[in-house]
Amino acid sequence: MTRKKLRYLTIAAGLAALPFLPSQMQPAFAHKDKHSAAQLQAFQDAFMEQVKIGDQLFHGDPETEKKMGVKLSGTAMACAMCHPYTSDTHPQEFPKYQEQMAAFATLRDMINWCIEKPNQGEKIDPNGDAMKALEAYIYYSNRNSKLDPGRH
Amino acid sequence: MSKSRQHDTARISRPSGEHPDSAVVLTRRTFLHKAAIYGAGAAACGLFPSLSTIDMAFAQGGPSFKFAWISDTHLYPKEVNSRFVEKTVRAVKEVQAMNPPADFLIFGGDLAQLGDPVELRLGAGLLNELKIRKVFIPGEHDWYLDMGATWNKMFGASPWTFDHKGVRFIGLDTVSHAEDFWTSRKMNAKERMGHMATLDGTLGGAWAAVGPAGLKWLSSALSGWAKDKPVVVFSHNPLYEYYPPWNFWVRDWLPVQEILAPFANVTNIHGHTHQVLYNEIGKMRSIGMLATSWPWPYAPEGVPILTRPMVRADPGDHFDGVGWSGLDMNARGRVDNEYKMWRKDVFAEAAVDSGAGDNGNQVLSPRVADRI
Repeated sequence: MTRKKLRYLTIAAGLAALPFLPSQMQPAFAHKDKHSAAQLQAFQDAFMEQVKIGDQLFHGDPETEKKMGVKLSGTAMACAMCHPYTSDTHPQEFPKYQEQMAAFATLRDMINWCIEKPNQGEKIDPNGDAMKALEAYIYYSNRNSKLDPGRH
Repeated sequence: MSKSRQHDTARISRPSGEHPDSAVVLTRRTFLHKAAIYGAGAAACGLFPSLSTIDMAFAQGGPSFKFAWISDTHLYPKEVNSRFVEKTVRAVKEVQAMNPPADFLIFGGDLAQLGDPVELRLGAGLLNELKIRKVFIPGEHDWYLDMGATWNKMFGASPWTFDHKGVRFIGLDTVSHAEDFWTSRKMNAKERMGHMATLDGTLGGAWAAVGPAGLKWLSSALSGWAKDKPVVVFSHNPLYEYYPPWNFWVRDWLPVQEILAPFANVTNIHGHTHQVLYNEIGKMRSIGMLATSWPWPYAPEGVPILTRPMVRADPGDHFDGVGWSGLDMNARGRVDNEYKMWRKDVFAEAAVDSGAGDNGNQVLSPRVADRI
């Protein structure tokens, strides 16, 4: 069998195997069809739900913390007490060298630093639901800021 | 140019007769502030030395004396948060150690975080270590659990006035006038307090005000006082419009200004904003005091152009960006305010170090969770 024929056979086998791939691989086909208004609304609703959860966490709502299994503060201080409207969180400037950590850091690193150090809370899973919700709220609140990664 | 900046420009270019007391000698310290008006950019370029005092001037000289300001201690029960207790203790000790001593302490509100009698009693105990006269005005955190009942019982009702060595001092209540958002929502007292204790909440609305009765009282308190004699007005909130969404104002600041306008030497000293602030409205100077608890960021807009911004505080050091104030009225009729911030430098000299100048790239939106 020539090398060319072997290549065609490999491609054909790959295409035949596609329907059997795990479902999480399927987003590769997400844009085949045009979006309906209902779909777009559903996407927005899914996002705003996370923003709302993040807002509650950011403002120290005990029920939301309990529901998500996190303890963001050991001093009774909530994030919003130092950052009303998420002021001075500067998500548009990450990743950057973060002076307090003496390290190159992402926004998620900084959120965890604030939870652990000033707030004396318990560090959260950097890829967990609470972190994603906090990130959603902070980005949403700063959504018109210009990206400026690396800025101190 | 933003609306607030247009307002500032109009204010600083007003006729000379409309400035606060023009009899002030242009000292080096005053020069720094005047220079900041006309060359704010120079401050950002590091041309000014760091200086932690602001000069004000009164037309009439008199016996010199000192007084001190502490506010915004935001005490929780001490087993919940010991940091705020430590910082209050430090401020109290430092005021007690003033030499020459302060004639009195003005406590400018927000002694408690959630209006809990336990918190208020803790604060009273800490302040009781001070063996000088103490006068009090309330903050919203002291008020909305029981609508001021405990506060008034422990610290006395506001407004009030007294004369001291040729100066008329006035203490206002600017916190008790929130519209009732709780009854229709069937909120209990703790829920009401929780909303009022959230700076960027939306339910409290424009709660800061002197109120119709307060305005009438203020007018009466100043009747008969010579127009050129000094008046110092203590308030929890600033008596001008800085940033209404966070109640960095009183909603009736215009009638307040109308009442104060005939007086040549008025100084408003306020808390609530937890930051270095300086402004002039008509003939009134206004100075924002530090909190002992934590610093607020500067608001997204409306920072008075006359303000030399404070440095960005280090969130890893809970003693940074906070403190108290010592105020000195000297024999020449001039009062210095010295920010006793617990750090080496108070004012920023470059934008990168400034609490206001660092935010040029920041565009914020109001929160959503208590609306959707």
